[in-house]
Amino acid sequence: MSKIRVVQYINQFFAQIGGEEKADIPAELREGPVGPGLAFNQAWGEEAEVVATIICGDSYFNENLEKAQAEVLEMVKSQNPDLFIAGPAFNAGRYGVACGTIAKAVQDNLNIPVLTGMYAENPGADMFKKDVYIVSTKNSAAGMRDAVKTMAPFALKLAKHEAIGASCEEGYMPNGIRVNLFEKERGSARAVKMLLAKLNNKPYTTEFPMPSFDRVAPNPAVKDMAHATVALCTSGGIVPHGNPDHIESSSASKYGEYDIEGVMDLTAENWETAHGGYDPVYANEDADRVLPVDILREMEKSGRIGKLHRYFYTTVGNGTAVASSKAFAAEYAQKLKADGVDCVIMTST
Amino acid sequence: MKFVIVTNNPKVRDELGEEFEVDFADITFREVLCKVRDMIYSGHKLLTHPLSGSVKPNETPYKSVLVAKNTGKMDMQDASIIENSIITADKFSVKFPEMPDSVREDFQLIDTTLIKSALMSIPEIF
Amino acid sequence: MKKLELGNILIHDVQFSNEGSKVENGVLYVNKEEICKIALEDENIASCEVFLARPGESVRITPVKDVIEPRVKVEGKGGIFPGWIAKVDTVGEGRTHVLKGAAVVTTGKIVGFQEGIIDMSGPGADYTPFSKTNNVVVKMEPVEGLKQHEHEYALRIAGFKIACFLGELGRNVTPDEVKTYEFDNIVESAAKYPNLPRVAYVQMLQSQGLLHDTYVYGVDAKKTLTTIITPTEVMDGAIVSGNCVSSCDKNPTYVHMNNPVVTDLFEQHGKTLNFVGMIITNENVYLADKERSSNWSAKLAKYLGCDGVIISQEGFGNPDTDLIMNTKKIEAEGIKTVIITDEYAGRDGKSQSLADADPSADAVVTGGNANQVIVLPPMETVYGHLEFVDTIAGGSANNIDAHGNITVEIQAITGATNETGFNYLSAR
Repeated sequence: MSKIRVVQYINQFFAQIGGEEKADIPAELREGPVGPGLAFNQAWGEEAEVVATIICGDSYFNENLEKAQAEVLEMVKSQNPDLFIAGPAFNAGRYGVACGTIAKAVQDNLNIPVLTGMYAENPGADMFKKDVYIVSTKNSAAGMRDAVKTMAPFALKLAKHEAIGASCEEGYMPNGIRVNLFEKERGSARAVKMLLAKLNNKPYTTEFPMPSFDRVAPNPAVKDMAHATVALCTSGGIVPHGNPDHIESSSASKYGEYDIEGVMDLTAENWETAHGGYDPVYANEDADRVLPVDILREMEKSGRIGKLHRYFYTTVGNGTAVASSKAFAAEYAQKLKADGVDCVIMTST
Repeated sequence: MKFVIVTNNPKVRDELGEEFEVDFADITFREVLCKVRDMIYSGHKLLTHPLSGSVKPNETPYKSVLVAKNTGKMDMQDASIIENSIITADKFSVKFPEMPDSVREDFQLIDTTLIKSALMSIPEIF
Repeated sequence: MKKLELGNILIHDVQFSNEGSKVENGVLYVNKEEICKIALEDENIASCEVFLARPGESVRITPVKDVIEPRVKVEGKGGIFPGWIAKVDTVGEGRTHVLKGAAVVTTGKIVGFQEGIIDMSGPGADYTPFSKTNNVVVKMEPVEGLKQHEHEYALRIAGFKIACFLGELGRNVTPDEVKTYEFDNIVESAAKYPNLPRVAYVQMLQSQGLLHDTYVYGVDAKKTLTTIITPTEVMDGAIVSGNCVSSCDKNPTYVHMNNPVVTDLFEQHGKTLNFVGMIITNENVYLADKERSSNWSAKLAKYLGCDGVIISQEGFGNPDTDLIMNTKKIEAEGIKTVIITDEYAGRDGKSQSLADADPSADAVVTGGNANQVIVLPPMETVYGHLEFVDTIAGGSANNIDAHGNITVEIQAITGATNETGFNYLSAR
């Protein structure tokens, strides 16, 4: 049997080209392993090998996101690999985000199993752990040996399309998909241990993290709606026809601000949704169904509300990271405040 | 206490309908939950857990829920329980659209015992 | 101080015998006629068959009604299964002999969608704890026209009687090992272990209706207020099972007798913690009952001066609400909790696992995802009624293929995701 073909993505630093000063080098394809690929080859022996390495500067990748992604995808495709590995990136933030981004792109576009690795607190981890397998590594390159030890066998499993065990068995970050495993100790013994740790204020890991609730205490009610300025905001992706700002249909990286001065009704000719997570037919037919401008105009006219704010803010909530959503809102909330908006109606889908 | 048994179980209608107020309709398990949800939003109080019983929502076609009749303010906890129950029920896709009458009757029986166990908890009844 | 000695007679094999049933050199000899005679004492039971199923054999038992361990009270007050077989004397003191390694497995079809699979070998055997015991399988059929309630009762009681009959065979056998469980009252234990954290066990009991019930000293648990029981009482059969629907996370009587949280807390008692007691609470359908029962759990945990508790659940859906109420209220008293539950995360593992949740439940042990699909290859012998595997929880229509392979979710396997932590399965 021939060896499993692996393409690896690394940054300028791990290719020993240079540090921050070389972070703007464009993507380049080299034959065979470079840097960490040597360790992987050694771990795999006769089973698999890095046939090519793609080297790309962190700044180049992150600042030319779409172009760089397309270039790297082409390079991966040209090698026809059985598996794609990005990193490991350890605690390097931009490298981690690049690894997650490109691994997801390869998985989605080329249908090849992918694997990356990074430190749990690398921002790329939270952004991509639900999309691709990310092996949890130490926080510096000194953890390379350990990272390879976990990643190499796991990569083989992925390449061979074998059944993947639970996160704690394989070493990947929990990705929200529950996988069964047999423990060495029965449940009651694990419970007693966990309780002793909890009682003694020692660290312990719950086997099932409760879904996280981000509860926001409501502000006091607006007393005088008849004189209030009301703004509309949505995560339902309503945008002007043609989506001029190219808000992504999922995992949105931005929000849009659009002027509805004089717009009485969101018509099909002028408005649509950019959202990729629900059937868009009804929203495209009449975007008021998601962002009720028509009703607010009626209320404005009847004096039920003071006025509808001139701008609305919109993004796509489909798989968008909570951290991104928070950042968008923190930014446009300031604008709303500066514009004297009294209250906001936020619609979801 | 004034209450109504919302159900799609003919056995509950037949056995309990004389003594208690039974709101029977020939609807699906999910539709019973949705009906109860709408009642809760309009101010009824939920008296029994909508996911009573270990028979999964995709196995048994029958569901009975006790709802208090007196309309007041919507109870947030009740709303949360019924919403979570609908979300949970939706995880299970229906497996047995058709089943022998004997099995059907057994499902009706189990649902009846579940709701009877709740009736026993109402102080005025027992 | 209370003291219970469990004298374990290690049973490594079970055999039929034409002479009287007996225990000899670690072998349980069973006389079929004796067993059937006990079962047929009940006029509601029309027929009875006895089979043996040993670990590793190509045997499937289904649908399992209950699993019971043979025990006998040798010294001390009362007898095994108080309220059913023995009078309601308080048990849990003295000496009890156990046929360790043997179990009575009752099977019989009460309703058409029944389940509970024990495979003695193959992949399914890994998931059930009862593939490791030497099982005396008792298959009983009811008289015609018997109502399901009476049918359930008849099978349940017959199982207890047969287990007691077999347990009695160990009365005069010298046990291979004796385990001693000592239990102080709260004043004594506080004086003895002033520096150890005080820990209680809160056991939630299934209590919803037919095939969903649990009994304490003969009382239907749904008619009880949350109460305190000493942990050695359960070893004498103070709590018994009347439920077998969705058997992966239901406690057969065997699990109550061998409650693993009780044993594992005893293991640490006096070393790392002070095991101060056991609180039993129910999982009723009526929401006001849930509120009251969980209020009482929290109240009693505080009353016992607990620093921490372990809470075990039984079942899914409705009990998730009880579990979260118990956890929230006990944590609100400043008592640290660890909960044991299982999950219904869908066949793909992607759905929300529980029907209720709360951030205070921050220490969870899981028995695994009950929706996991498993293919069970055919067994040479089936004891019970295989035709029902089609309609059981976790099965689906036409789930037996041409080769006899059965595709089911592990929720059909007895004890697979047990929520007292009796099993080794988990999930991440």
